[in-house]
Amino acid sequence: MKSIYRNIILVFILFVILFTTGYFLQTKSIHSWQASEIKILESLSISSLPPLSKDMSNRVANSLDAARFGHQIFFDTRFSINQKISCASCHKPELFFTDGLELAQGALVGQRNTMTIVGTAYSPWLFWDGRKDSLWSQALSPLENTLEHMGSRVQFAHIIFQDKNYKAAYEKLFGAIPDLSDSSRFPDFAGPVKNQEWNNAWQAIAPDDKQIISTIFVNIGKAIAAYERLIMPGVTRFDDYVNGLVSGDKKKLTALNRSEIAGLRLFIGKAQCTNCHNGPLFTNNEFHNTGLLPAPNQLPSIGRVQGVRDAHGDPFNCLGKFSDADEKGCADLKFSKFGDELIGTHKVPTLRNVAETGPYMHAGQIHSLKEVIEHYNLAPQALIGHNEAKPLQLNMVEVQQLVEFLKSLSAPLSTDPKWLNNPSKKQS
Amino acid sequence: MFTIFRLSILICLLYFSSVSLAQDALQQHEQINNTDNNYFKVRFVSKLKPIAINTMHAWIIQIQNNKNEIISNADISVKGGMPEHDHGLPTRPQVTKYLGDGCYLLEGMKFHMGGWWTITFIITQENISDTVTFELNL
Repeated sequence: MKSIYRNIILVFILFVILFTTGYFLQTKSIHSWQASEIKILESLSISSLPPLSKDMSNRVANSLDAARFGHQIFFDTRFSINQKISCASCHKPELFFTDGLELAQGALVGQRNTMTIVGTAYSPWLFWDGRKDSLWSQALSPLENTLEHMGSRVQFAHIIFQDKNYKAAYEKLFGAIPDLSDSSRFPDFAGPVKNQEWNNAWQAIAPDDKQIISTIFVNIGKAIAAYERLIMPGVTRFDDYVNGLVSGDKKKLTALNRSEIAGLRLFIGKAQCTNCHNGPLFTNNEFHNTGLLPAPNQLPSIGRVQGVRDAHGDPFNCLGKFSDADEKGCADLKFSKFGDELIGTHKVPTLRNVAETGPYMHAGQIHSLKEVIEHYNLAPQALIGHNEAKPLQLNMVEVQQLVEFLKSLSAPLSTDPKWLNNPSKKQS
Repeated sequence: MFTIFRLSILICLLYFSSVSLAQDALQQHEQINNTDNNYFKVRFVSKLKPIAINTMHAWIIQIQNNKNEIISNADISVKGGMPEHDHGLPTRPQVTKYLGDGCYLLEGMKFHMGGWWTITFIITQENISDTVTFELNL
């Protein structure tokens, strides 16, 4: 009988030790990660972002003079049909270069959600369907798009030619601008655009003069690209947390709370987010079909399957005559793939500042982060192509934890604020 | 009562032994294998070591026949993908140059996800065609 009491006391003491230790271990374990997990976390940290490589297709890509020139044009509403639309109309710096709308609103309502510019200099492909292979080539497209700036390239060339500051900036970068004052050769509006009158005017222009105009147009794009290459994300609470894990700085471990850390564990684990949202910009810059429904009144978007064809047929691509690259500098275009596997695939967007850049998906179909995660949790069958994602079996708490984690990816841009304002208020 | 005591000790041991062991990524930038019908021996060496995701890079493919003779006139096509995700490579890699000594330069290799990948080479020499598949866990 005595030994029974002794054993009961022993078991009791053992359990007290066990649970007391367990409590303290649990407190400590929220910051306890396996080495393989820390490696993944480091790969997501902004400290893993390499220096921006050269854009071989744009010889002024790293020129500050070009960036200043591009900065002016980016905010200049004269580059539009109605003098009201600039690049910054949709790419608003205060919204991390998005617009907060489901579909872009230019001269008319567009078909696509506005993508951010932040960090896109690292992407080999631009637009949701990847139909452009450089920032400069991308920047040209909205300028002549009927739904966006609704302008024409001759109109834009005239602006550069007639504005003495622009002309000086242009000539410093690209050499003397030809005389465009002969309106019989260079009408006010002309370009290979949907507007039939302007298109006819473009067809009537002599080939050499078309070359002059298109070269000025391309150089406008290259200056805008030089500016956009400066738009980079800042250090987030997530980055601070990873820094704390790696450096042992305990103060930095407080950057994320318990719920956010739980969300982070799900992000790199059960929720499989890093399959596509990997690397320091939380995107692999590739194209995937995730079974999204089209936006109301839209057909399903075929996405990259057409985008890659468009990129190869684009006169402004890396291999084209307006590019400064040789063939070696165009590997992404040269080795890009085609085929039915790309049906319904769209570009993986960055998740940096994602909480500030809704609505989400290529046509703004989903309004909240919670709904986005619920979509991936269900992984519905795709209307066209096939959904690469599989159901995740996340419970409601886990969905919320993921949302909390995603909110930790917001931070002011690292870009000098002088680049985020309209450099010429009088033109706004 | 002693059973309860032993059980509690077992619980303690299980509790404290639940520390996961870190696993280093496998070094997989160089592999060698025979083709399915043993017509060829194929070796690849990645010029990117270790192989990392989201980085376009080149591989060198060396081909010998089953008598260990170098093959200098092979046609090589490449297929690859992630069986678990039912998608292929993000790029269309191509052999762009014969380097001599049975070696071929394969450009345009890229992986855009971590996980299990398979890469299949279809080797054709004159009227013989055979395939070999390599596996990578990135």
